[in-house]
Amino acid sequence: MKTDTIAAIATALGPSGVAIVRVSGPAAGGVLRALCGEASPEPRVASLLAIRHPRDGRLLDRGLVTRFVGPDSYTGEDVVEFSCHGGYLTPRLVLEACLAAGAREAQPGEFTRRAYLNGRLDLIQAEAVVDLVEGRSPRLRQAALHQLERGLSDRVADLRGRLVGLEARLVHHIDFPDEDDQPVPIEEIAAEAEAVAAALGALARTAPEGELLREGAVTVLAGVPNAGKSSLFNALLGVERAIVTEVPGTTRDALDAVVSLDGFPFRLVDTAGLRESDDPVERIGVEVAGRWLEAADVVLLCVPARRAPSDEERRFVAERAEVPVVLVRTQADLADGVAAGGEVPGAAASVTVSAVDGRGLDELRAALPRLVFAGLVEAGSDAPVLTRARQRAAVEAAREHVCAFARALAEGVPADLAATHLRPAESELEALLGTIDREEVLDRVFADFCVGK
Amino acid sequence: MIVVGGGHAGTEAAAAAARLGARTLLVTPDLERIGQMSCNPAIGGVAKGVVAREVDALGGVMGRATDAARIQFRMLNRSKGPAVWGPRAQCDRGLYPRAVRRVLDELPRLELFQEMVTDLMLEDGRVRGVRTRGGLAFEAAAVVVTAGTFLRGRLHVGGEAGVGAGRAGEAPSVELAEALAGLGLEVGRFKTGTPPRVDGRTVDFGRLERQDGDPEAYRFAAYAHEAIPEQRPCWITWAGEPLKRVVLDNLERSALYGGEISGRGPRYCPSIEDKVVRFPDTPRHQVFLEPEGLETSELYVNGLSTSLPAEVQVAFLRTIPGLEEARVTKLGYAIEYDYFPPHQLRHTLEVRGLRGLFFAGQINGTTGYEEAAGQGLVAGANAALQAQAREPWVLERDQAYIGVLIDDLVTRGVDEPYRLFTSRAEYRLLLRQDNAPARLGPLAREVGLLTPRQEERLEARLAEEDRVRAWFVETALKPETVRPLCERAGSSVPREPVRAVELLRRPGIAAGELGEAGGAPFARAGAGPHSGGAHDVLTTVEVEVKYEGYVAREHERARTVRHQAAFRLEEDLPYERFRTLSYEAREKLARVRPSSLAQAGRIPGVSPADLQNLMLEVRRLKKEGAAPRVSPPG
Repeated sequence: MKTDTIAAIATALGPSGVAIVRVSGPAAGGVLRALCGEASPEPRVASLLAIRHPRDGRLLDRGLVTRFVGPDSYTGEDVVEFSCHGGYLTPRLVLEACLAAGAREAQPGEFTRRAYLNGRLDLIQAEAVVDLVEGRSPRLRQAALHQLERGLSDRVADLRGRLVGLEARLVHHIDFPDEDDQPVPIEEIAAEAEAVAAALGALARTAPEGELLREGAVTVLAGVPNAGKSSLFNALLGVERAIVTEVPGTTRDALDAVVSLDGFPFRLVDTAGLRESDDPVERIGVEVAGRWLEAADVVLLCVPARRAPSDEERRFVAERAEVPVVLVRTQADLADGVAAGGEVPGAAASVTVSAVDGRGLDELRAALPRLVFAGLVEAGSDAPVLTRARQRAAVEAAREHVCAFARALAEGVPADLAATHLRPAESELEALLGTIDREEVLDRVFADFCVGK
Repeated sequence: MIVVGGGHAGTEAAAAAARLGARTLLVTPDLERIGQMSCNPAIGGVAKGVVAREVDALGGVMGRATDAARIQFRMLNRSKGPAVWGPRAQCDRGLYPRAVRRVLDELPRLELFQEMVTDLMLEDGRVRGVRTRGGLAFEAAAVVVTAGTFLRGRLHVGGEAGVGAGRAGEAPSVELAEALAGLGLEVGRFKTGTPPRVDGRTVDFGRLERQDGDPEAYRFAAYAHEAIPEQRPCWITWAGEPLKRVVLDNLERSALYGGEISGRGPRYCPSIEDKVVRFPDTPRHQVFLEPEGLETSELYVNGLSTSLPAEVQVAFLRTIPGLEEARVTKLGYAIEYDYFPPHQLRHTLEVRGLRGLFFAGQINGTTGYEEAAGQGLVAGANAALQAQAREPWVLERDQAYIGVLIDDLVTRGVDEPYRLFTSRAEYRLLLRQDNAPARLGPLAREVGLLTPRQEERLEARLAEEDRVRAWFVETALKPETVRPLCERAGSSVPREPVRAVELLRRPGIAAGELGEAGGAPFARAGAGPHSGGAHDVLTTVEVEVKYEGYVAREHERARTVRHQAAFRLEEDLPYERFRTLSYEAREKLARVRPSSLAQAGRIPGVSPADLQNLMLEVRRLKKEGAAPRVSPPG
C-alpha cells in the first residue's frame, strides 16, 4: 500500500525555546537520513544531531531528534520528530528541508487522521485530540483527556458488548433449539435491557452539559439600565472590558467573553438594559439582548440591592421557567442592607454582591457551575462525558432502540422479532466508535454456550 | 455445460441448468450414489429448513426428495416466532437418493455419466471442458465443480495417519485437486466428522425417551405433491460422566487431538472429543438416535461425531443408557479435505479470472446438504446463463438465505466450515419458510428456472394466497362465532361483527382458528389448515398482520441497503491508491473486490468512515476518468 510522507511544524510559530517538526510516513526514515546523515538513532531515544539541508548540506540547527518505528507511533507509521530551536525561522527552515527530502506539507489534522485510519485511535479519541488541543476550559480538557484515555470509548464498547451478549442469548435458543441448555428467562433478558437502556440514558444526559464544555455556557447578564450589569461582568471577568458609566444605556451592543469558573467555561454576555427605548442605537442593543436571552443557558438578573425587585423583574423570572435565573442583588456597597421583599419565586438562586468591595462574588462563582453543570459536578471528573452532538445522537438513538426492544418483550412480541431492535442499537454504537464486526454474535454464542450435537 | 459431482450441490446445479434449457451433463464416479446423504439422514432445521424450501421454490430437487423420503417431521422453534420456524425432516437414507434420481430423470436436457473427472480443459483463461480418468474428454461452455469432501480427502479413525478417501469406502479425488490447485487458486484444508451407527436390534428402547414427529402432513415442495412415507420416531438418550472418562482416557488416540488432522472443523458441530474437552462442566450431552430408514434397523447416533479408534468408540457407546449392549454397524470418522477459500468467487459462484468455471458446495468451505444445494442451484443457473450468453442471476441478502450464504462466502470468506444460522441474516423476518414460494417463485419464473408444470403450480398457489388474504380482509365475523376463540385467547369478545383481519391482530388468535370459525373455503378444502399451501399461506397472513410494523421496518431497512447496493464498484478499482481509506480497508477491499458499496460495507475491517471515503474516491476517479473526454469549448 503506497502512502506519502507528511511533515509539519507541530508547535505554535513564534518566539519560543523549542519547536517540533514532525514527519510521518514510509519515507520518514529517508528524511531523517537526508537531514542528519546515516547515523540512525535508536528508536524512541532522543539524540542530539546536526540538522542539515539535504541539497547543500548547510547546517540549519542542532537539535534532539527522535525516531519512532511504525506501528508503535502516534500515527502508526514511521515517525521522526525534530526538536529544534523555536522562533519564526528555524522551524520553518527545518520543515523546508523535510519537504526538500521528499515529504509533503501535512493538512490540518492529518497526523491524527492517519492515527485513526491506522487504528491507533477510534473516532471518539480522534475527536478528543481536537478538544484537548483547542479546549480552553480545564473541565473540557479533563473530559477530552478522559476520552483520549478510552474512558468514553470503553464505556460505549462495554454497552455495545452487553447488547451483543443479549442478542447472543436470544439467538442461541433460536439457532440451537435442541440443545441441552435451558432458555434464558425473558425476565432476565428484559432486566438486562433495562439496565443497558438506563446506562445509555445516563450517558446521553451528560451531553447537554458536555456540549456546553466545548462552547461555554451562555450566561446572560440582564437587568434594567444602570442595574450594575457591566460592573458585574467586569468583576467576574477580572478585567475592565466593558465601559462602565452612570449614564443609562451605555452598553449598546452585547459584549461577551469566556470565563472559567471552577474549571467550567462560561460565556458571559452583557446586554443593553431591558427597557423599551426610543433611541435607535439603543434599540438595536435591546434586540440583541432578546436574541441572547433565547440562547441563554443561565441568566443573571441584576437588581440593585437598595430596592425591591419590580413587578416587571418578577414577571421576567416567571416567564423563564426553562432557564435558571439567578437573582443578583448588585451594588450592595451602596445599600444599607438589602431592601425588603427581595424574594422572587422561580429564581434558581439569589446572591448579594458588590463589584466594588467584592462581597458575594465567590458565592456567585461557586453557584454557577452547580446550576449549569450540575450533572458533571455530581459525576466527578472521572465519569465519561459526551461532548459532541454526534456522540449524543448516536447514544440517544441506541437508547431508543433498546427501549423499543424492552417494550416489545413486555408486549409479548416473540423474542426473535423483538431482537430485531438490538442490531440497530449496536450499529449506532459501532458507528460511534468507528468499528464493526457482525461475526461477534456467533463468536459469543460459541464461547458462552455448549453448542452442537 | 458440465457438472462434476452428484451430491446435493451437483444435482441442483445440473437440474437448474437443465431447467434453464442448457444441454447438461452430470459426471460423477458412482451414479448409484447420486443424492447420497453422507452424514446424518435429515434435511432442514433452523435456517437450513428455510434454504431447503428456497431451493424448492426456485424449482429445485431437494424439497420433493425430502417429502418422498421423510420418515419423521418436526417444526423446530414452533414455540418461538414464526420468523424462525425451522422445518426438519428425518429421511430414509435409501428413499432420498432414489427420489433425487427420479426427479433428475424427468429433465430431458440432463444426461448422466459415470466416470471420475481428473482434469479441466482450459484455453485463454477460460474453461473448455473436462477430462476423465478413462481418458475421455467432454467439451462444455461452462463447468460447475461440486467435489464435496473428495478433494485429496483423508479419512481418520483413531490416531493413525488416515487413508485417502472421499467418503467411507470411496476413493478420494486427487488428480482433480491437483489440477485445480495448479490453476493458481488459494487452497485451504477443513475437516468434518460423522458419528458411528448402531444396530437398532441391540438397543434397549425401554431406557430411551421416544420423540415422535409432528402429526401434520407438512410438505417442503410447493409445486409437487409427493406421497409421504410411514412415519417413525427418534429416540433421545444422554452421554454422561462414564462416557467423558472413556473419551478423556483415550484423547491422545483421537486423530483430532493426536495431531494427525491439521484442517479446521466447525465449532457448532463439534466432535465428542471437542465437547468433552471444551465443556468439562456440562454434566451430560444429549444424544439422538435417528432411524436410517424404514427397512433397516440401523440408527444414526447424532451428537457423537468422533475420530477415536474403533475399540474406544465401542467402549464409549456402551456407557450410554440404552446402548449397553449395542453393536456398531459403522464407525464414526473424521475426514479432511481441500477447499478453495470462497473470496476467490463472484456472487454467481464463478471463479474470478477463470471464465466458465464455477464452484459449489463443500469445495467452497461450507457444510450441510442445504447450503450445498443452494449454492449448486445458483452456480448451475449461472453456468447455464453464461453458456446462453444471458445476464448473470444473483440472489440478494433480503431475498433469500441463499443470498446471505453466498454473499457471506464471497465477502467474508470462511475460517471454519460455514453453516447458516438465522443470526447471519439481517432480514430473517422476511426470509421465512412459509413465504419461500411467494418470495422466490416469481423470480425463478422470470429467469426461466421453472418448468411449465411448476409455473402452473406457482400460479395456482399465488392465486390461493390472494384468496386467503382477501377472505381475512373482507369477512366480518359475528360475535357469537368468535366468542370461544376470543375467550380462549383472553381477549374481549367484540360487540358487533368485526373483520377477521382485525381479530388476527390480537395476541393469541391464530389465522387457522379464525378461518375454521368463519367457515372459510380454505379451511373446508379437505387438507385442513395445517398442510401444504394453505398452511403456508395462513402463516404468511398471520405474520404480515400480527407483526405488520416489524415487517415494514425490515422492508425499509432492506430498501436503504438496496440503495447502497445500487452503487456499483468495478472489479478493477485501484484500492491501493485510495489514501483516505485505512490500510486494513484497502487490503481487504483489494482481496474481496466487492461488486457494490453495500457489499464493501459488509467486509470485516471496513468501517462506515471507510465506506464514505470509498464513495468519494470512486466518484473522484470517475470524474478524472471522464475529464479528458470533455472537448474544449469553442
